[in-house]
Amino acid sequence: MSPGHKCDRLRWVDVTWPQVRPAAVAGALLVFLYTLSDFGLVAMLRFETLTWGIQQSFAASFDRSQAAILALLLVVIALVVVAAERSARGQVVTSRAKLATREPVGVITRTLALLIVLAPPLVGVVAPLAGLGARLLEAQTLREIDFSRLGLATGATIAVSALAALVALVIALPLAALAARYSGRGVGSLETLGYLPHALPGIVVGLSLVFFSLAVLPPLYQTTAVLVFAYAVLFMPKALGTARSSIEGVSPDLVNVARTLGARPFSAWARVTLPLALPGLGIGALLVAIATMKELPATARVTLPLALPGLGIGALLVAIATMKELPATLLLRPTGVNTLATELWSRTSAGEFAGAAPYAAILVLVAAIPAMILSGVRRTAKEEL
Amino acid sequence: MTTLGVHNVGLTYGSRTALKDVSLEIPSGSLVAILGPSGCGKTSLLMAIAGLLGIDEGVITAGNRELSRSGKRVPPEQRGIGWVPQEASLFPHLSVRDNIGFGLRKGRRRNERVEELAALVGLGGFLDRSPGQLSGGQAQRVALARALAPSPDVLLLDEPYGALDSVLRHTLARDVARILREEETTAVLVTHDREEALDLADVVVVMDGGRIVQVGTPVEVYESPATPWVASFVGDTVELAGVWRHGTLQCEQCGAADFCEPGDNRPGCSGHVVCALGEVAATAQGYQPVDGEDVRVVVRPEWLAPGSSGIPATVRGVSYAGHDALVEFDMEGQKERVRARIAAPFLPSVGQAFQLTLRHPALVFPLPSGVELA
Repeated sequence: MSPGHKCDRLRWVDVTWPQVRPAAVAGALLVFLYTLSDFGLVAMLRFETLTWGIQQSFAASFDRSQAAILALLLVVIALVVVAAERSARGQVVTSRAKLATREPVGVITRTLALLIVLAPPLVGVVAPLAGLGARLLEAQTLREIDFSRLGLATGATIAVSALAALVALVIALPLAALAARYSGRGVGSLETLGYLPHALPGIVVGLSLVFFSLAVLPPLYQTTAVLVFAYAVLFMPKALGTARSSIEGVSPDLVNVARTLGARPFSAWARVTLPLALPGLGIGALLVAIATMKELPATARVTLPLALPGLGIGALLVAIATMKELPATLLLRPTGVNTLATELWSRTSAGEFAGAAPYAAILVLVAAIPAMILSGVRRTAKEEL
Repeated sequence: MTTLGVHNVGLTYGSRTALKDVSLEIPSGSLVAILGPSGCGKTSLLMAIAGLLGIDEGVITAGNRELSRSGKRVPPEQRGIGWVPQEASLFPHLSVRDNIGFGLRKGRRRNERVEELAALVGLGGFLDRSPGQLSGGQAQRVALARALAPSPDVLLLDEPYGALDSVLRHTLARDVARILREEETTAVLVTHDREEALDLADVVVVMDGGRIVQVGTPVEVYESPATPWVASFVGDTVELAGVWRHGTLQCEQCGAADFCEPGDNRPGCSGHVVCALGEVAATAQGYQPVDGEDVRVVVRPEWLAPGSSGIPATVRGVSYAGHDALVEFDMEGQKERVRARIAAPFLPSVGQAFQLTLRHPALVFPLPSGVELA
């Protein structure tokens, strides 16, 4: 054994951890942020959090100003966390994973390691899907599927997602282009503001758009336009981040060369920057579409219990139903427009667990399409580079 | 055909001065090399000429046309100045054909011009390739063709061969210089490679710390450097302490018979110095020392040759470089050592005794102010 044998134990802490730390801290803060904006789970566990408070004041007493005050408080907390996350992320040192040395390991270690790395996909995908599939395949469930309604909800989901993706991209693009090429305090703060919706719980955005559309554009209240706009605002940071980094990835030298070859600034942008950033912009739009489609918190909470028969599903679902969750969709959707997520929601609220299963299944399938495109795009984008 | 003029140009980034009082005339059809270490301001100067950077002081002109002054500049697309950046920077989403044709209007003439230029840079068969399928040298040729396509008045090349290996670098550099001369394009080449600058350029501009230190032909810059720093930047030097003496030596005495007459970019000798090499012919660079003044003496290793007369010297070490060797000598009765470049294949061995002659007047500079040589 080498004289450095004793150091093997220290190696990870001394070498890898310092480099991982900024990213790890940033990741932890992100989880914090999501937890902050989530309220279903905490409420279910009888924690009185801010989001829960907002929902209570809005739903129970219709005391909107009380809800607004609580929402503002939440915004302030979220701002602090976003700032912390950004400063942590700023220190990330990129290194090359390829250079890692591979050390021989025993069978037991390898199996254990395999189990550990397989845990996220198993817990996150395989278990819910298996449970969902089992429920779907029961004869009674199949008989109860209302195919026309299922089709309408699917269409609405896809249309709203695509529109939201487009709107989010259009909103994000100018700021992304600015942030990618210019630095400075003004640009930095603008960009941070752009990321803010990331930190906002859906319920806050929903509420503010309710206020906004009622006060400024009453005819738009509960129309698809407001719904699309809400999603676009909510998930715009996803488009902003990818758009920024993909524009940043286009070397300024290329733009300079285009200029010296006679291209005006806008023409250089259209002929060089845009085509080269396009794969990244597409990824951003797809991310928004996926996020919109899933309305993640709602589905995750509904599909997971469905997948765990025998674990007191009934009790859990009753708890969820009584929480009367009001995600952005429920607040803003036009009367009569049902998306997969709302169908799923209303059915589980009413205790029709079997009836909810096909909606959950279709939602998973539809969400899988952009995810597959996304992995394809990423691969080709890598090959291009 | 226009002369490019840079007049007293200054540029600062925040508190850092990138360019300070830079003046330069680039006559039409010439190839000018801007030579300097990294961060000397040479790329900033190039980008200012291209219009990619604004300037804070001075004026940049092309003929009678004013291109840049503080707060005002003609945009890069209206200057008629081409640019070949470091590392080719081809548009990765376009074919070689569309890269070369980027600056041309669409039409039949465009295709003709593209093919003409591809042939000129020797890449006629590569038009439908994508940039990813080219080698570094080929990519750099495409970048040159792309910049030449719209027939710019001036072409700026920013360390265009920096990423290439030395053999390819040399061939390509010569090729490019030939093409530029054939096209009669005025060109400014930025480089930190002294051999490239001395070999290719009509005029070499030496920059340091945002200022121009010397402008001259390659021979002037190499044999009559304006400062000891320029001397050591454009070639190897041997630095010695010496004492200036008025009056030239007899040519037979100094051994530099071919060089003491002025002419051919050579200053001739204007006095002599006493130093570790004995009493040798010398030329004071840009000032007149007084008789008996302590001075800084700079000679080039290839100006020293072993011969039958001169100062006795013993070989201390040999640094072999194939075509020649730098040989370090201990000089008899002297603390200072000198290095001489001796052509292969007849190289001396350690301990061998010689007599060294200086074949070129030594360069004499004032001592750095406030420093006494021991």
